Amino acid sequence: MNLRLVAAAAAFAVATGTQASAHHSVEGAFEPTKRMQLTGVISKVQWTNPHIYLYLDVKDGANVTTWELETIPTAAMRRAGVTMKMLMGGGQTVVVDAYPARDGTKNLAFILRVTYPDGHSYQLYNNPDATR
Amino acid sequence: MTRQHFWNGSATALVVIGVLWMLTHATSAQTPAAAAGTKSEAAASTPKMPDGKPDLNGTWDNGRSTFGFAANAGNVTTCVFGCQPFGQGGGAAAGPRPGPGRPVYKPEFVSKVKMLDDQQVKLDPALYCKPPGLPRIGPPDKIVQTPGQVVFLYDDLSGAFFRIVPTDGRRHRADVDPTYLGDSVGHWEGDTLVIEATNFNDDSWLGDNGLFHTTNLKVTERLRRTGNTIAYTVTVEDPAVLAAPWAMRPRTLSLTDQELIEPAPCVEKSLEHVLDGTHHDNAR
Repeated sequence: MNLRLVAAAAAFAVATGTQASAHHSVEGAFEPTKRMQLTGVISKVQWTNPHIYLYLDVKDGANVTTWELETIPTAAMRRAGVTMKMLMGGGQTVVVDAYPARDGTKNLAFILRVTYPDGHSYQLYNNPDATR
Repeated sequence: MTRQHFWNGSATALVVIGVLWMLTHATSAQTPAAAAGTKSEAAASTPKMPDGKPDLNGTWDNGRSTFGFAANAGNVTTCVFGCQPFGQGGGAAAGPRPGPGRPVYKPEFVSKVKMLDDQQVKLDPALYCKPPGLPRIGPPDKIVQTPGQVVFLYDDLSGAFFRIVPTDGRRHRADVDPTYLGDSVGHWEGDTLVIEATNFNDDSWLGDNGLFHTTNLKVTERLRRTGNTIAYTVTVEDPAVLAAPWAMRPRTLSLTDQELIEPAPCVEKSLEHVLDGTHHDNAR
């Protein structure tokens, strides 16, 4: 069963403005009204359950801040065919749309979408374009 | 939970999985398919084992055990999660599915369920990587069947689990301690495999919503293969706390030619950031 989903599906989500599961603690820990965008290089993927974590090195002048970015479980990623290597992005600069932590923890966020330099992206939670 | 305990359990389970994988490939009468994915439900007759019993061998897609093929280049968005409606377009298959339903408790235990439900984020053992227990773990991801036994393999959020179910007429073991998945024995009623599990500890819930149970829990599963699907039903009895036996929402498992892989370790570090106690639904 090929689980590839192309832009049409994302367009559908945008058009309907639909959300992911509402009865879920993502919004208990992360703030959906403060959507943010980060640009950096993924330095590590922690392939664990119940959440995968991406570590994003974000440059600010000479300083580099590493963000801990939480996302969905491995089975969900695997079912869509997204691997650890694909998430890493080969050291390229990526753009991450995310929700910041509600409790004020610095440099912690939940991923909505990761976009790579050639334009391909993985929507991993609510469509960020639909929640603007 | 102690992490060492978890790792020891996972390591043991993975060794067993490896051995059983080889065993399956040596004994299964099933023909492997060339292409990846769930097999056509319409394809068919129900294969039988040499002993005449239905052949349950295989990896069974219950919504968490298949692989997809996402785009890795070009101007393409792959919607992995958060797509609506769930299940359409393929990439949204990881979205929530209907829950298992919930049992009816005796009146004197309703307030306890509510208390646990209200504090699920703090008190649900499975959210902290403990074994989900039976029946919460859901249907098996893979079944290995040999004459006289079936083995269930699970790829769960909490790790790898297995159950060895004798079908040769033996009784429940009396020499083992209570566990999360209990002690199982099976028998055939016609073409239906019936499994009775007892000897549980009480450190798991029946579901996400404070559904506690006692050590008197008894779980009866029925598996009936038709063509390339298995109808999986579960009845839960715990007369000390439940007002009546609970029939969980039936599940249909689809045969797939994909194979299980080593599950990722369970490392919980998110719940400390949850501020409002919202539930963490986790349908398996």
